[in-house]
Amino acid sequence: MLRCLALLLFAFSAFAQKPSFTVGWSVYAGWTPYHYMNKSGLLRKWADKYGITIQVKRFDYAPSLDAFVAKNIDACAMTNMEALDMPAASGVPTTAILIGDYSNGNDAILARGGVQLKDLAGKKMLLVQKTVSEYLFDRAMTINGMKDQIKKVRAINTSDSDIATAFLADSGASAVVTWKPMVSQIAKQKGIASLFDSSKIPGEILDLTVVRTDVLNRPDGAGRKFAMALAGAWYEMLGQMSNDKVLAAIAEGSQDTLASYKEQLVTTKMFYKPDEAAAFGASGDMKQKMALVRQFCFDHGLLGANTKSVDEVAIRYPDGSVQGKPDRVRLVFDIGYMQMAAQGKL
Amino acid sequence: MSPGFLLIHAKPPRAAALTLSWLLFVGGITAYLWVAQARHRDNPEDRVTPTVAQMAKGMWSAAMQPAEEDEAVSVENATAWQQFSRSMLWKDTRATAKRFAWSIVLLIPAVLIGLHMGLFPFAGVFFLRFVLFFDKVVALSLLPILFIAFGIDEMAKIMLIVIGVAPTIILDSFNLTRGVPPEQVVKAFTLGAGDFTVAYRVVLKQILPRILNSIRLNLKSVMLFLFAGEMIASTDGLAYRIALLRRHMGMDIIIPYVLWVALLLFLVDLTMRLVNRKLHPWFHEA
Repeated sequence: MLRCLALLLFAFSAFAQKPSFTVGWSVYAGWTPYHYMNKSGLLRKWADKYGITIQVKRFDYAPSLDAFVAKNIDACAMTNMEALDMPAASGVPTTAILIGDYSNGNDAILARGGVQLKDLAGKKMLLVQKTVSEYLFDRAMTINGMKDQIKKVRAINTSDSDIATAFLADSGASAVVTWKPMVSQIAKQKGIASLFDSSKIPGEILDLTVVRTDVLNRPDGAGRKFAMALAGAWYEMLGQMSNDKVLAAIAEGSQDTLASYKEQLVTTKMFYKPDEAAAFGASGDMKQKMALVRQFCFDHGLLGANTKSVDEVAIRYPDGSVQGKPDRVRLVFDIGYMQMAAQGKL
Repeated sequence: MSPGFLLIHAKPPRAAALTLSWLLFVGGITAYLWVAQARHRDNPEDRVTPTVAQMAKGMWSAAMQPAEEDEAVSVENATAWQQFSRSMLWKDTRATAKRFAWSIVLLIPAVLIGLHMGLFPFAGVFFLRFVLFFDKVVALSLLPILFIAFGIDEMAKIMLIVIGVAPTIILDSFNLTRGVPPEQVVKAFTLGAGDFTVAYRVVLKQILPRILNSIRLNLKSVMLFLFAGEMIASTDGLAYRIALLRRHMGMDIIIPYVLWVALLLFLVDLTMRLVNRKLHPWFHEA
């Protein structure tokens, strides 16, 4: 009897010795590779190397953020803006371990009937409010010296799943701010022109893979192994993305065609090489861009009603410098894993 | 207490009835507070389960401060009521209530169609098959068509509700009309009533309390469709705010908002029940 129990305990502990982690992703050109990484067994190979199990779950974007904040998943693909205003601002310390890409035209402001940015005051504009779409619009108006007109535009909060049909069907709406593939779908129609897109603010809309800091710092070290396995698999995956067969398989992950996926990649600045990504993460440029993003988040109340100052949700950069109060660091950019990938140490 | 105190013949004493009727409320609130407290102990900045104090504060600012997208007005020497009338909560409630009221008004023709279908055979054969089929169509899936037909403004939201709820009301009115004993109709004719007198003063009059009950039961569907409409494309309204606050986990306002909606809906339901009782004192069901 006792031996039986011991055996059971042993079996149980052996099972428990293999820590399990979950990474969540949603459909976006820069994140869809997760689908293929999982399907092709690439991720399993790397997980086995580090003696862990990694599960991949596909979500809609907003629920993936909710799941990450609720600590149901350990890692998640999200933009720099949401990493700051969802987990970090909700007291869930978050570390960005992979800088996958930045939007280089994926997000755009489109208008019909020859309407220009300066004509938008008083006109109807569809967008998903409080997201990078609003950030893009804010930046477009600021860069063109029309900051005072931002509030005069009649913004209509429109769900992203309906925004393309809503804009095309309602000719009373003058402009729309959205992202690909909806942008491509809308731009195909006659009489629609692009007024501004994210290629004019390169590096401000970043697509990251983030891990909860407490997972990363697990005392048994499995969190670090998880991050290393993710980084290893990620860059092996990106290395194969010059192959059309692989691209088609990736596109399949979002029920997309190869042609459409390739078109989206044109306006996505992928960091295919880990050293490029790490160099971008270490640059002072990124700090300046994050300063714009965090100020936007604060101005729009996205850091929470109780957050009295933009410095209360602080960001730490790879060189150790901190934006905000040093005792309130909630978002960390860690380029260590990308560097290890670059040096082939994974 | 007799061993049969849980059985059919039981008569719960007043005190027990009162206690038991509140027990699930207390249980639900306690469970929430327990989870919220545990989560806050783990993470003092948790936004998923706000504490009661946080929700009270959130709701207070919602009820006293204008919405973020509106111009802030000077708050000096404004009375509490003036502040409330410019607040985010009031703005959202008014927008939602307006859409709600319009859709209820537009449901009245549905009752009349049902009545005519039940009484006039030509109306019946004309509508019945189509309405039976249309009732099964999931209105939400027709959104793109609705956008083309009604734009994306108020009209589309109201039509979404009407298309979603009207068939149910039509079919229910139809069934209730058919439930009126034909002898009564014959009797009314022998007493010299005309067709429309029979329809409106004999049949409609006696099915009206049941129709009001049927609308009461459908209030929740009305609200669901209204919320769906506001979440899809909107500039104001209670569901618009909830959709917006969800983007940054503003649960400290979302939870009070949801309770506020429940309270309002409960009050509408109560009013309809009281009106029904006042109008039809002879009606003793439900």
